[in-house]
Amino acid sequence: MMDISYIIPLFVAVPLAGAFLIALLGKSIKKFPDVMGVLITLILCILSVKSVLIHNTYGILTYSAGGWNPPVGIGMVLDGLAVFMLVTVNVLAFCVAVYSVDYMEKFTAKWKFYTLFLLMLTGMNGVVITGDIFNLFVFLEIAAVASYALVAFGTEKHEIEAAFKYAIMSTVGSLFILLGIVFLYSYTSTLNMADIANVIMLQGKGNIILLVSVLFLMGFGLKAALVPFHAWLPDAHPSAPAPISAMLSGVLIKSLGVYTICRIFFNVFGINPAISSTLMFLGVLSMLVGVVLAIGQWDFKRLLAYHSISQIGYVILGIGLGTPLGIMGGFFHLFNHSVFKSLLFLNSGAVEYATGTRDLQKMGGLKEKMPLTYSTNLVASMSIAGIPPFNGFWSKLIIIIAAVEAGKFGYAFCAVLASILTLASFMKVMKYAYFGDLREKWKAVKEVPFFMKLSMVMLSLICLVGGILVFGDILQGFLGSAQEALSRGTEYAFTVLQGIK
Amino acid sequence: MDLINLELFKIDSLSTFVGVFVGLFTLLTVIYSFGFMDKKKGLFSYYFYIILTLVASLGVVFSNDLVLFMVFWGFLGILLYLLIGVGEKPNTSKTSKKALIIVGGADALMLLGLALIWHLTGTFKMDGMRIPLNSAEAIWAYLLLAIGAFAKAGVMPFHSWVPDTAEDALTPVTAYLPASLDKLLGIYFLVRLTLNMFVMNLDMNTFLMAVGSFTIIAAVMMALIQNDFKRLLGYLAVSSAGYMVLGLGTGNFIGIAGGLFYMLNGAICMSCLFMTCGSVEKNVRTMDLDKLGGFAKIMPITFITFVIASLAISGVPPFNGFASKWMIYQGIINVGKNGGSLWMLWLVATMFGSALTLASFMKLIHAVFLGQPSPENPARKDLAGGRIPKSPLISPKSSHGDRAEHREVNPVMWVPTVILAVLCVVFGVFAYQVPLKMFILPSLKMAVNFSGTWNATLATLLMLVSIAIGIIIYFLGTITKTRETESFVGGEVLKEHPDMRVSGVELYNTVQDIKSLKTIYNMAKNKAFDLYEVVSKIVFGINKILRYMHNGILPTYLAWCLLGMGILFYVLILR
Repeated sequence: MMDISYIIPLFVAVPLAGAFLIALLGKSIKKFPDVMGVLITLILCILSVKSVLIHNTYGILTYSAGGWNPPVGIGMVLDGLAVFMLVTVNVLAFCVAVYSVDYMEKFTAKWKFYTLFLLMLTGMNGVVITGDIFNLFVFLEIAAVASYALVAFGTEKHEIEAAFKYAIMSTVGSLFILLGIVFLYSYTSTLNMADIANVIMLQGKGNIILLVSVLFLMGFGLKAALVPFHAWLPDAHPSAPAPISAMLSGVLIKSLGVYTICRIFFNVFGINPAISSTLMFLGVLSMLVGVVLAIGQWDFKRLLAYHSISQIGYVILGIGLGTPLGIMGGFFHLFNHSVFKSLLFLNSGAVEYATGTRDLQKMGGLKEKMPLTYSTNLVASMSIAGIPPFNGFWSKLIIIIAAVEAGKFGYAFCAVLASILTLASFMKVMKYAYFGDLREKWKAVKEVPFFMKLSMVMLSLICLVGGILVFGDILQGFLGSAQEALSRGTEYAFTVLQGIK
Repeated sequence: MDLINLELFKIDSLSTFVGVFVGLFTLLTVIYSFGFMDKKKGLFSYYFYIILTLVASLGVVFSNDLVLFMVFWGFLGILLYLLIGVGEKPNTSKTSKKALIIVGGADALMLLGLALIWHLTGTFKMDGMRIPLNSAEAIWAYLLLAIGAFAKAGVMPFHSWVPDTAEDALTPVTAYLPASLDKLLGIYFLVRLTLNMFVMNLDMNTFLMAVGSFTIIAAVMMALIQNDFKRLLGYLAVSSAGYMVLGLGTGNFIGIAGGLFYMLNGAICMSCLFMTCGSVEKNVRTMDLDKLGGFAKIMPITFITFVIASLAISGVPPFNGFASKWMIYQGIINVGKNGGSLWMLWLVATMFGSALTLASFMKLIHAVFLGQPSPENPARKDLAGGRIPKSPLISPKSSHGDRAEHREVNPVMWVPTVILAVLCVVFGVFAYQVPLKMFILPSLKMAVNFSGTWNATLATLLMLVSIAIGIIIYFLGTITKTRETESFVGGEVLKEHPDMRVSGVELYNTVQDIKSLKTIYNMAKNKAFDLYEVVSKIVFGINKILRYMHNGILPTYLAWCLLGMGILFYVLILR
């Protein structure tokens, strides 16, 4: 068993090495950053798919960094949840890297972009696979710092401002997380998450765990952009270059926010009704506030950013329900949201690339000039609005059914309400951007280059197929094992510790 | 996933019946489109969407699993959106957006209904459930699912996309979706809900009848004051949906059979009316009633089919609309017999609605076909034989042509309307022999007792005889020739309006002056009853407040975070 666990550190090592190589050689060799960026993400993509198969055959795998066994050394754990997140992150990263080949041409210093991009990927993968809570914090900071720089990548005035706000708020969140970790360490005298869970089980949950829960809810909630900790997101996400917006909204808030909340509250602390209902409430609040704010926006990307808040609300609602069906729905929505939200950001990038504007009121009639962007955007809009047969429909259906099954009729109704408003705001996007008369100044607009198209088509295919696969065994195994990892709760500790020995 | 099972499709008499007519309407629309869509762009996607609509509609009709049903049903919403989007009016994109928001929003509510059904029964098999309406969950499930059916069929208050679509979409699209297919499917699902999936009680039946009656009256009152040909028809389509819901709401066999029969008849008539409307549209660019007139002479086939369809939907015997309305009346009377209250109200609503429908068709027939053509209208040239200045209203295709250009439309376009008009007659005259026996009664699987017998065939014969006698009297009476002269008023020959033209637009405008109705009409004009507009106002109001709070100042945002954390502290630790 130990010989296949070599795959675990690769998720961190490969992108880190890639970032290093690009920083070293990218400036002198012309196509090197592009080729390396796509190649590295492709390798990670293949590795993550392989990790699904490995997990299906061998179950939970562990890896001790440097041969030092936890709790002394740093342990890495590959369980169902980690596998699920790795696939989501790395598939998206690959599509975004392909897109960036053409899109980033208009920026200077492509090598800096790819270096930061791969560093961010390192951070996200690290957060997902690590079994050590302090290590998790370190990876979280790697991803966050890289993303601050990427938000400011355009170096325009408003981009710097957004990055500054983002950095400040995110750092505040990180500080509270660190404080939480300190308290946790003082209480349990260990940093390995499985060990912490074990100690908590033995010593019982003191008030200090409740304090840490609050700190973590705030800190990770801020990373996940839950209302009222969301205010940085609508500034930061639209300001980044489109592929980075796609990464930030698509996977960063999930791996840094949602994943960590799941891991710590379900597997380490063990879920209890108070936390569960708090999560549900925050989820529903985010869902409604996000969508109502989104519907009035005229900036294409800002509208999408507000929808990220709203959609994360769905994910948190599903997971907060705590029933297997709810968790499954939440995870399915997490995956779907990363796909269609990334696609939407890439679409907005394509429109911006072709016309130079993000203001919906200045667009119009682009359907004729950019048919592929239009049709992929239609697919993505329908997916996020939950119109069948696209993937968003299925995950929303599962979440709503799960909420009703759990007796949360009001929350289910809120989910439906948010879904209607989501549909309305995407109808607005479609109408103003693509329908209507073509304006005189867009007469010369051309469809975007090949790699951007390729990436958008890949993602819209996932939107389409994701809906159909819901009945197949592939998605069942994939989502099911993630759901199982959470439903088992603190059994996680037992399995992991057994794996280490 | 255990949410679904293998028995996904089911074919029974009801679904076969609806399926057959879905196919028929698709066929006729496609034939009609060959003529109408001639030389328009985007034809490939247009026909592609039509075919997809057919597939999805058949899926809706034959699926037995609610989730699968929902997939097809929701997909129809996108197709509606795309098909409306093919239109080329300035407001088309706005209308398609509105249509999908209303229909798709109703679909989202249906999801909650679906979840409630799963909660109540643990199955999604449509034939495997008989839910009594005895708990709040069951009532909500029924209502939420019915909202989906209402929105699709265009029943009030979810109707407002239908008149807009009628105005802004291409005419064959309107004839295909809101006028026929969406009626069939919406009412089909309501029938499934009402007869198969739920066990109705008196209150819910009364609710349905109230919704139906309200839709009939309110929509036809709105139709009376419209000045756009297609928009007027759109309101009448809404009104006809009211009859279908009312029929189902009666809860007795004859009323339900009548409602189902009216679903078919309404779809046939409305589809025929929209197609004839499109034929007129082919000759003139405008649909403004003020600018039409005199088309009876140049488009005789279109005129006759229009008259047949309009008489049929107004419930004039011997056409199909009457046969089904007659059954609905009987159903309502039966409600009264069984002790139901308020039945007089519903009966008055239906009868009054029929009369007003006829009245609005008087307006249409006068303004479009019989009245004097307006000065800018090509029909005028053909009638007067005189020269008129070229007008921008005349479509470019016909403006350079000679008189023959303004003749009857291409056979490809009139054949479908004639087929539909023939169906109107056949389904009326042979109501019991053909449609009821073949389609309606088998799908209900119940025997129908007719309280008052209406022998359609005999009555038709009598009517024909009386018409023949009337014609004979007319010819006997006009043996002496009349004298023709210039029009004059008060001894003065009219110079300004030599034709004494009454465009028909002003007809029934007086209803707006009735005191109690005046405010309602004014509110309706300000869209106070348009659910879509009302909800969007509320949402944007909340949006304004929230945006005011997001002022972009970092310390404010940090304060929220701390405040949020404080609340979490309170909730999780102190409490």
